[in-house]
Amino acid sequence: MRGGSILMLIIVSAAVLMGCEPKPQPINYGSDECAYCRMMITDAEFGSQIVNKQGRSYKFDSVECMAAYDLTEESENFHSKWVPNFLNREEWLMAENAVYLHSETLRSPMGLFLSAYKDRDSAEKMKEEYGGDIVDYETVKQIVEREWLSNGSGSRPMLNN
Amino acid sequence: MRGNVLKIVFTGLFVLFAQTGLAQIVVSPDGEINSISQAVEMAEPGTHIQVQPGTYMESDIGIDKPLTLEGIDYPLIDGNNKGFIFVITADSVTIKGFSIKRTGRSYVRDYAAIMIEGAKDFIIEDNRLEDVFFGIYLAETERGIVRKNRVEAFDTREASSGNGIHLWSVKNPKIIDNEVTGMRDGIYLEFVDNAEIYGNVSNENNRYGLHYMFSDGGQYYDNTFRRNGAGVAVMYSDNVNMMNNLFEHNWGTAAYGLLLKDINYSKIEGNRFYRNTVGIYSEGTNEVHIHANDIELNGWAVNIKSNSARNRFTDNNFIENSFDVQTDSPRNNNEFEGNYWSQYEGYDLDRDGIGDVPYRPVSLFSMVITKQPESLILLRSMFIKLLDTAERIAPVLTPKTLFDENPKMDRIKR
Repeated sequence: MRGGSILMLIIVSAAVLMGCEPKPQPINYGSDECAYCRMMITDAEFGSQIVNKQGRSYKFDSVECMAAYDLTEESENFHSKWVPNFLNREEWLMAENAVYLHSETLRSPMGLFLSAYKDRDSAEKMKEEYGGDIVDYETVKQIVEREWLSNGSGSRPMLNN
Repeated sequence: MRGNVLKIVFTGLFVLFAQTGLAQIVVSPDGEINSISQAVEMAEPGTHIQVQPGTYMESDIGIDKPLTLEGIDYPLIDGNNKGFIFVITADSVTIKGFSIKRTGRSYVRDYAAIMIEGAKDFIIEDNRLEDVFFGIYLAETERGIVRKNRVEAFDTREASSGNGIHLWSVKNPKIIDNEVTGMRDGIYLEFVDNAEIYGNVSNENNRYGLHYMFSDGGQYYDNTFRRNGAGVAVMYSDNVNMMNNLFEHNWGTAAYGLLLKDINYSKIEGNRFYRNTVGIYSEGTNEVHIHANDIELNGWAVNIKSNSARNRFTDNNFIENSFDVQTDSPRNNNEFEGNYWSQYEGYDLDRDGIGDVPYRPVSLFSMVITKQPESLILLRSMFIKLLDTAERIAPVLTPKTLFDENPKMDRIKR
């Protein structure tokens, strides 16, 4: 009986612990610092994050900084990547599932003009108003790679390592 | 003969007055012309528009020809939370002496009280902006002067304001004697060449008092940056000289007097860093000369990451900082020479004013708290003091080559 209840306890706590899926953490706008560019994070419509398997969150001031971090750091321990819905800033979207607008009339904090949306329809509506291209996360990474990380493209290298 | 001279003078004066008379329009709330937009529309290029005291409910006043607009006793332009107030697209425009309130707000449009787009040689002077989203916004301009303006935020709500003076893609601007309070960044520069920024006071802004992004050349001096959310940030820029500024009371987990990120070939001279969490933070910074600054009563005087190289610290006063220098690696690629360190405990037997033993500004404990921030609670304990002393005598974990060979015995007088 006693052994049984201990076993039970172990099973229950294991189940509870497994249920602790790492998830996005709240960002303290106006005091948290971007893990990539060191700028203070102030805009909720751009603040993004990567959560690792231990549940620790790396916060970024923009989608472009998150993508740059994703490209330059060891990603083995990453659990998930999150971007805010530009039209509903409380809502976190998985970076790979989100749809992005790359439009020069919508300025983002680090100047690569990227904003994220829940689905293609809402992105299309924004595109009608602001122009630009609708892209996926892979293309976002290519844009960051081209603009910041690869040399010889005319823009300055962002990494100093 | 004498009469003739008088005649000529009078004729000259008459012609002069007649001309200015022709090129002048007066706007007043109860006059014939009672709106600024109307006056701008009917004005010939070069006209002087004088605006009498009163309140004008107007926004999106487009100025597409060279004009001078002058407010008498700060007439108020109230935008009623709609759009921009002035949008200037012509060269040689002057806007002077207005009080402006309530621009529009938006997450996608940068509504500003005074927007200057693609213009040259303008003067924005002596205006008082309150309750605005962005204050003065320069986009793709050349040789403009922004002088003696005052910009205050909407309210103190976090992150809801735009920047006080915002410059994007600008050449040779002069930003002089302005006062910015409570905005996101006090003064923000992105893709700006050769800015001259002096005499400004930028206090209590939510993010940075002054923020450089991708902006090369130029200098900022004689400015005050006080109690900003994170201090002053100079990022991804080269050849920026920073002289005689005051960086003070920037407290918080991510707050710095001055944050340097990816900066090359610059000079930091004659500044005072007083009571900041970190006086100077440096990451990816190369060949910067930090000379003759007073760095006093900060948590950390200097935090320099190991990816910073060939920077020189000379003739600075390091006074009563909790930690003098912090770094993240036992390697050191920077030079410290001839500074005064109030924590120096050496001696000067030959009495030449220079300590006879080197000073090691990185304490063992500062290395420990880099890895284990919680251990900060042990600061000033006996045990830590013993460890630090032992480490200074025989460095094991702290950078062996990071020391000041010629520390000054007395505070350097300025």
